[in-house]
Amino acid sequence: MNLSPIPNCLSNRHLASLLLSIVLLVLFYLYLLFYVDLRLIYSCGGIITNFPVFAKDWAFFRDHISHPGGAIVYVSAFLPQLFYLGWAGALVVTVQAWLMSACVNYVFKTLNLSVIRFLRFVPALILLITYTRYTYHFYTTMAFLTALSFLCLYLKVTSSPASDYGRLIILLIMSVILYYVAGSAFLLFALLCAIYELLFKRRFLWGSLCLFFAVAIPYVLGVLLFGESVINAFSDSLPFSWKTLTFESRTESIMAIYILYLFMPLTMLSSTLYLKIPGSRIQTRLRSWAKKAKKSTSSPILRSLFESFVLLVIALAAVIFSSNREKRTIFAVHYYTCHRMWPQVLEAARQHTDNPFVMNAVNRALYYTGRLGYDMFCWPQHPDVLLQTGEDRILACWHKFDTQIDLGLMNMAERNFNECTQVFGEHPIILKRLALINMVKGNYGSARIYLGALSKTLFDSKWANDYLALLQSDPNLSTDNRIQYLRSIRPEKDYAVIGYSKERVLRDLLEKNSKNRMAFEYLTAWYMLTKQLEKCVRSIEHLNDFDYPELPRLYEEVLLIYVYSTKKPVQLVGHQPSLKARQQIENFSRIFNSHNRNKQAAFGELAKDYGDSYFFYHIYGFSGVRK
Amino acid sequence: MRQEFESKRKRILVVVAITMIVCTLVFALREDKVTIDKVNVVNRPARIHPDYSGTVIPPNIAPLNFSILEKGSLYCVRISSKQTETIEIFSKAPKITIPENRWHTMLDDNRGEELFFHVFVKAENDEWNRFSPIINNIANEEIDRFLVYRKIYPVYSAWGKMGIYQRDLYNYDESVVLDNGYFDGGCLNCHSFCANKPDKMLFGIRSSKYGSSALLVEDGKGQKIGTKFGYTSWHPSGRLAAYSINLVNMFFHTTNTEVRDVIDLDSLLAYYLVDQKAVKTAPDIARKDRLETYPTWSPDGRYLYFCSAPLSWTDRNIIPADYNEIKYDLVRISYDIDRDEWGEIENVLLSQNTGLSILLPRISPDGRWLLFCMSDYGCFPVYQRSSDLYMIDLERARQSGQYELHRLSINSDESESWHSFSTNNRWIAFSSKRDSGVFTRPYLCYLDKEGKAYKPFVMPQKDPDHYNTCLRTYSVPELINGPVKVTREKLGNVVRSSPDILCDMPVTTATPKVTETADQDKPWLRERE
Repeated sequence: MNLSPIPNCLSNRHLASLLLSIVLLVLFYLYLLFYVDLRLIYSCGGIITNFPVFAKDWAFFRDHISHPGGAIVYVSAFLPQLFYLGWAGALVVTVQAWLMSACVNYVFKTLNLSVIRFLRFVPALILLITYTRYTYHFYTTMAFLTALSFLCLYLKVTSSPASDYGRLIILLIMSVILYYVAGSAFLLFALLCAIYELLFKRRFLWGSLCLFFAVAIPYVLGVLLFGESVINAFSDSLPFSWKTLTFESRTESIMAIYILYLFMPLTMLSSTLYLKIPGSRIQTRLRSWAKKAKKSTSSPILRSLFESFVLLVIALAAVIFSSNREKRTIFAVHYYTCHRMWPQVLEAARQHTDNPFVMNAVNRALYYTGRLGYDMFCWPQHPDVLLQTGEDRILACWHKFDTQIDLGLMNMAERNFNECTQVFGEHPIILKRLALINMVKGNYGSARIYLGALSKTLFDSKWANDYLALLQSDPNLSTDNRIQYLRSIRPEKDYAVIGYSKERVLRDLLEKNSKNRMAFEYLTAWYMLTKQLEKCVRSIEHLNDFDYPELPRLYEEVLLIYVYSTKKPVQLVGHQPSLKARQQIENFSRIFNSHNRNKQAAFGELAKDYGDSYFFYHIYGFSGVRK
Repeated sequence: MRQEFESKRKRILVVVAITMIVCTLVFALREDKVTIDKVNVVNRPARIHPDYSGTVIPPNIAPLNFSILEKGSLYCVRISSKQTETIEIFSKAPKITIPENRWHTMLDDNRGEELFFHVFVKAENDEWNRFSPIINNIANEEIDRFLVYRKIYPVYSAWGKMGIYQRDLYNYDESVVLDNGYFDGGCLNCHSFCANKPDKMLFGIRSSKYGSSALLVEDGKGQKIGTKFGYTSWHPSGRLAAYSINLVNMFFHTTNTEVRDVIDLDSLLAYYLVDQKAVKTAPDIARKDRLETYPTWSPDGRYLYFCSAPLSWTDRNIIPADYNEIKYDLVRISYDIDRDEWGEIENVLLSQNTGLSILLPRISPDGRWLLFCMSDYGCFPVYQRSSDLYMIDLERARQSGQYELHRLSINSDESESWHSFSTNNRWIAFSSKRDSGVFTRPYLCYLDKEGKAYKPFVMPQKDPDHYNTCLRTYSVPELINGPVKVTREKLGNVVRSSPDILCDMPVTTATPKVTETADQDKPWLRERE
């Protein structure tokens, strides 16, 4: 075998290019892993409305594979499940980005457009932007990747000499397969093939044929053979499908996806219009720029470093401009709340404290860390967010419905999680809650069905199977402490409601079980937030039903305001407001009085020292302002 | 030379690879010849799921695949009847899949005979246990081959993915008649057929984008009627359809097993004249002091049966305190289709006599049996655990002048509802929550000539565990004697188009209580399963 040595400069260039790709992809991966954290997207809590469900059974596979575009839906349902693991999800997206870049690179190389090879990272950049914004477009990006890889295949296959019939058969087979696999993303493939044939190869017949296929194949295969609607047959996996555009949340970052889909056609079109025309200004400029770059950075490695630097700057700019920190906070708070990681909830919540979903989670985290009676007013508060009943039909952030379960409000939670199933599908987080609720309610038949559905998921099947086994061995679940506890706090009195009275709901809970500490603290918090002092004091008088080692600070403040304002005594054996609290209310009054009881004038001084107190909330009606 | 060698080597490799794959497949798919020689007798039938034991099955039903709920390492089922050779099935898994062709031959050859499932389970000690046979009966009469139902997640306020499906009961083929994907989401319900025939049907559509409408399908053509029909019943002539207009409000229970409840704060009946393309009503079916709903025609077309309850409240926006006292009576009114004239209201069954609310009347095609639900209160049996099926022999009532009801023995502790008859009167399909209390499943039941109902069985599925993981409810199972042939694409086009028929209720003919647009701004309140 006579192998000629690879020219040094060539191998260096390849090596440099490879190194550049590897470095960028590693950075991409690390960014997704540590900053974006795809676990947050997995437990999106309904903020993302199209996160897919996946079942590891034959029927799910068969249902998907039996119609055009189903294969890509199946893959796009499976792969995002790996977001659950964080590292695996980041790997999936990184590989997706790498494949996109590799495909674009291949197309540019084949079309002799190496001068714009640096654009190969555009799709990866778009992915970066969409994930930085915590938006979810995996399905459409996967469909894009599939169409692109088929284009590469087409370029590869047709590059070797073949008869017209052979090429026709290849095009037809590839078109049919692609349409069956990726649905209407086939249109992108057909368009790119048409551009290639018409403008690069000047084969007008072939170009026209590609365009004809673009219309004929979806119609014949999708509409006539598989009975799809015309709209779905031509748009299902494309970003402008009604399934995307009908829902506002799904249109976030949609512009980036449009750019992704337009990127290849526009690049190919413009390249033929400008780069391929001899002597065009852009061509001349690009060529001279390339020459200059070559001269100034004689080493390919240095050139690659320069390219890397430019790309990194662009990526950084994209990340900074597309960053949505509030959304990240909401996702993080939801994730930690669902996993009952209370200190982390409070830590994450500090970024954006005034979001109602965050406020709801903060109160729950404060309760579980034993701080609700102390630190509630360190955070912004509003009566509407303490217990969100779901009547507003805002179904995002499912953790707020967990509060209902924890309190014992099974029917309210059941209603809300069922609504979530309607809107978001059979997400494991929802199914788990519905299974639990039905087990608590003793609806074992329906609980088994939810557990059965859950047992088909990738990561919650063990939980489900364990419960199915427990139901077998212990049909009443008498050995399950959580279920027994939830049963013990679940109210018994049934009545019909259209809208819930939060006070009545919480009182019912305490009526059923006076030891329901969460209901006690929430009811007291409700009275505090709604400034119902008399009722709040009556509630605090039940403090001795629980084992509080001391009178929580905020309760002290309530009692003092009540005593000072009404001159009535409070019956609370064993707990009296501390000296410090008395001094504080006196000091607070002194400051307030010194400003002639002018709220506006006293604000600065009071907020500084008492912004986290009930004294302050009672006067101003808001909190979380301590400087 | 070298190239030739390479190519030869490649060919050999390909042949070896193919041989290995074939051998692996043959090994994997080989069938061990298992014989059952020595058995321990277990004096009880094996537990199977779904419960296909002691029932009467149609001779044209799909194989009743089931799972054996007995522990074992190997399972064998021998299916036998009088005339045909036994079907023997071995399975390592407890799921038993019955070969379709042999099953159908067996059922066809043994109409009117008993059908035995002999279950054998190889226990851990390597010995076979033979259970007492499971016995079912094969009816002589076939069931209508298709069942049309709506599949939907348990509904509260929001609309998710939903669709009307048709299932070929002879096999497991299920196809979409129409789903809401064809009109960008929304609601579709209340499908109704004329005399169990698929070529004349109506169903309701609610879409924020394409409006509320009824879809009329006649002889392969779809037409969009610009008004929404509620519960609908075709006149046997096919010339008109009576329907209800309901002002539905959903409310919730704080601790009940069933969270949801609904109340019709107002309702009336109207009818659509197909030839005239007009909607009408009449004073007696749209009384201001009554709630009228669930119309159903007698098969001779001379009477319209419906449910009616007193309307005692004036505020149509709040749930009355005595919502659980509202009980519907069953009444009928005569109708002359040639003159378009209505007669007088006659009481059939009064709630004050039954103590229960009488709902969902349906009459068998031969006009003999009146099947209905009764529940503790209210207008919607699906949300009432107390809802059971009852029947009246109309033939006897004609002779005796008295409507005597009897409760069917097929009821369970959970809700039974949405029943329909087969063309030959011998089968009923209905929705039952008996398995879970939450999810309705379609059940089929044999009804003999004397009106005796036999143990029902759940509609068979290819995967016997299907219902164990299915989170959708099957509602309004309607038996029809052929498939709906209009394509979903065509129906979708009709939904997306402008109404072909504009119908406004003429205020001169009656005084309707419910305006059809009354609650269009809050469609979620009108949704139910």
